[in-house]
Amino acid sequence: MVTKTIKNEQNFINDEPYYEPVGDEIKIFEASYENQLPILLKGPTGCGKTRFVEYMAWYLKIPMVTVACHDDLTASDLIGRYLIKGGETVWVDGPLTSAVRHGYICYLDEIVEARKDTSVVIHPLCDGRRLLPIEKLGELLEAPSSFCLTISYNPGYQSVLKDLKQSTRQRFVALEFDYPKPEIEQVIVEAESKIHAVMAEKLVKFGNMTRNLKGNGLQEGASTRLLVNAAKLMEQDIAPVKATDTAIAQALTDESDMLQAVHELSRSIF
Amino acid sequence: MSVQSRQNLLNRIRIKKDLEKLTIEAFARHSNADEIVSQIAELSDAQQQFIYKWAELISASNHELGAQFVSLAPKAFTKMRDSAVQEWLDLVLQNFDNHGLGAAIAALENIEGFLEKAKIEEVQCSFSETSGFLQHFIRGLGGRDLKISSDLDTFTNTEALFLPEAVDLFPAPQENFTLYKLTAVHLWAQTWYGTWQHQILEAFKDTYNLSDHIEIFNRLECIRLDACIARDFPGLNRELQQFQLHDSDSVELWDSWRANSSELQEPNASAADSLKLIEKFSDIKLPPLQAYQGEMYLDRIRQTFYSRVEQEKAALQKALEKILEDNVGTENDAEMESLDNQTLELSQTEDNDGQDSNMNLQLTLDGQPVDMSEDLKELLGSIIQDFGEIPDSHMDPSEQGDYSDELLPQSNGEADNSELDLQNEGAFQYKEWDCTRQRFREDFCTLRELTVPPGDEAFIDETLEKHKGVLKEIKRSFEAVLGESRPQRRQCDGDDIDLGALIEAYTDLARGEEMSDHLYTRYKNVERNIAVMFMVDMSGSTLGWVNNAERESLVLLCEALQLLGDRYAIFGFSGRTNKRCEVYSVKEFNESYSEAVKQRISGIRPKAYTRMGVAIRHLGKLLQDTQARTKLLITLSDGRPEDYGGYKGQYGIEDTRHALLEMKQEGVHAFCITIDNEAQEYLPHMYGNANYAVIDEVEKLPLKVADIYRRLTT
Repeated sequence: MVTKTIKNEQNFINDEPYYEPVGDEIKIFEASYENQLPILLKGPTGCGKTRFVEYMAWYLKIPMVTVACHDDLTASDLIGRYLIKGGETVWVDGPLTSAVRHGYICYLDEIVEARKDTSVVIHPLCDGRRLLPIEKLGELLEAPSSFCLTISYNPGYQSVLKDLKQSTRQRFVALEFDYPKPEIEQVIVEAESKIHAVMAEKLVKFGNMTRNLKGNGLQEGASTRLLVNAAKLMEQDIAPVKATDTAIAQALTDESDMLQAVHELSRSIF
Repeated sequence: MSVQSRQNLLNRIRIKKDLEKLTIEAFARHSNADEIVSQIAELSDAQQQFIYKWAELISASNHELGAQFVSLAPKAFTKMRDSAVQEWLDLVLQNFDNHGLGAAIAALENIEGFLEKAKIEEVQCSFSETSGFLQHFIRGLGGRDLKISSDLDTFTNTEALFLPEAVDLFPAPQENFTLYKLTAVHLWAQTWYGTWQHQILEAFKDTYNLSDHIEIFNRLECIRLDACIARDFPGLNRELQQFQLHDSDSVELWDSWRANSSELQEPNASAADSLKLIEKFSDIKLPPLQAYQGEMYLDRIRQTFYSRVEQEKAALQKALEKILEDNVGTENDAEMESLDNQTLELSQTEDNDGQDSNMNLQLTLDGQPVDMSEDLKELLGSIIQDFGEIPDSHMDPSEQGDYSDELLPQSNGEADNSELDLQNEGAFQYKEWDCTRQRFREDFCTLRELTVPPGDEAFIDETLEKHKGVLKEIKRSFEAVLGESRPQRRQCDGDDIDLGALIEAYTDLARGEEMSDHLYTRYKNVERNIAVMFMVDMSGSTLGWVNNAERESLVLLCEALQLLGDRYAIFGFSGRTNKRCEVYSVKEFNESYSEAVKQRISGIRPKAYTRMGVAIRHLGKLLQDTQARTKLLITLSDGRPEDYGGYKGQYGIEDTRHALLEMKQEGVHAFCITIDNEAQEYLPHMYGNANYAVIDEVEKLPLKVADIYRRLTT
């Protein structure tokens, strides 16, 4: 079981996470939050969805519980279960229950990875009722106004088995994310890696070249996260082409023609 | 005599005796046999064994050739690697088999020639080795999607880059590769940095119509493009510098040309500036072309350029018209009239250097920004590449261009269909979506289910033989899918205790509730509950390669699907007019992969047209009637929907899209695999962004189909 749970008392995000707004997503998130509407973040991998939620948790001054969903995640992993302590049974809240009880932000990352029946337990939480039924306890938890459910998913997956059900997705305010514009992306790469602006500009240009290849041999272009990774390596005196090869090209593909193409694209810029 | 030299002498005598025996005395007659023997004595044991072995084998065919081989073998071993000696010998034997003794001995003696040829092959950079890489590389650089082809001439027609079959100018393979790449880059640069923009082509028509002019223009553009590349791609620039011509005459000439055209190296220089300089250079000696430079062929450029401009203009106007319509809505007529009064504007904010890929285009309607689709952005990008801007005439939606995709009124064809109507028994009636009317045409299409006549079963065996390796690979990856066993929790019986369930049961017990007996985990293959319908394009356009590839794909897929146990059906579709739509049953859901099915796969042949909507509705219905948790409709196609009587262009696409949406509402997932390179234009619209795959090469279809299937269903 790799469900990642941050201890509740550590959930406060004290330092402002670095986040560069690309549009009016902060305003929309805030408005949804005020109206107690759940939020769905769509977008390719590594474009800043998780960082955005962290930023909003800091901005709204609410602790945040993150669950990285995986294909063995069951409903009781989210809600909680009885355990035995010294011959007695003790109820232990799951991350979702804990977030509802305390009025935190609950962030279910890559929700489509979870089993289909799992995503159904969040339904009553996501409409006007805002209730979380806990069958084992015979309780109904009513979410306080500060509770906020946020889920994320990547619509680029081609597997038909990993699609978000209509009944689930139609309960959310959806925010679409994409890789930021080059000027903004450059600022992000600079800020995250402390790399020189000239190099950051080149990296972003390189990133956009790999995105030209999306759908033509690459499933996805280089994400902002990969660009930042490469920039961090470069900042540690790794030669630029070596850095893009290891942090980006090899991470994107195994195909030799494509690896060579990405390698030469990098060489043409650096 | 020392022990050592006595040993050597004995060795030589032994070798000589052996060789004479092997070549049946032919070697003994050789003039300097003794010298050769001492050379052979110097060779390693393995090499000597090699000579012995082949001397015997060759002598069995011809003694003289055997003796000649023995006499030349030591020289061959000193001049080349052991593996190359084998290749040299293979060539000799090939010559002997095909052309006789004379040719074989000539090949034996020509060790130098063989070496030289091998060396060239080793170092050259060829199109076949490089094209896969180059296609990705050029696409990555940006701009319009350019095809990469090989040709006797090196040039671009603004839609494809034509490169030489091979480059072998340099002794090192890496250098040849770099030169090959730079040649492609330079041709790409012509399309990217506006060498062939509209006004340039016009100027060549009117003012600069001498063949000298284009030669001068080619050199001037080379100077300008080199400067552009130097600014944007420092890495490429380093390599370009290395590959400049080195002889003093060329260096001098190019330097003087560069000095006299310094304005071309400024960041804002354009091809028009090169044009202006043509007069100035008309009496100056031309420098030779750089190694990475291609030729310029105006005729071939004009041909592709003007037809593309017309098409893209029409496509843009159509897209703009659609935006206008969408924004007007359908509320009332008064607003419809106001359509003419609206103003569509396109603003373009460029990056500082003006040549960057990051051009920001913003379309506004009456001052309000409008969202642009990816297709539209791509189209605008391509037009800007041609004109440097979007010409005003392009932005007028009312001015219709000449484009093959025009909406034609649907012919009802009542006259010729009357006879067919009588035969409607046993046929299915389907509706069709008419996008011009925004209405369904009820019972418009008549569809019949036919079976494919059995074909030659030998095709199946040939395919299995031909793709032996691929099939093995596919089967292995499919087996991996099956192998992904996952623990089934909460079982009555199983391999291990389910700790979670046990703890829960314990707590139930402690709280006085009944304890569950579902306390075990069991490793079992997850039951796949998938039904797939393969819909195969049998339109006339698939004739030849495509049809073969489709059939081969089906054979491999069926073989592999036997492993998975997914339920699947295969149907072909085609037809001519709405009254004669046909689907051809190859394999039904409840049929097993039998000899009859194999024969039918082999018997799939191109028929008529591609009326896709009705086929999707019919096959989708069959799919809906099967019991499965996941239902998948996979289309194998080679182009856009098209049929007699106006079912083409937008009409066909919209009907197909509608049919797919209807399927989606019923819970059927649709996916399309196509080999149409232009599919990017319409497939995202029809199937959705993530639901299609374009295969570049027909030959790869069999492998890719299976691969996509595995990815879709895991």
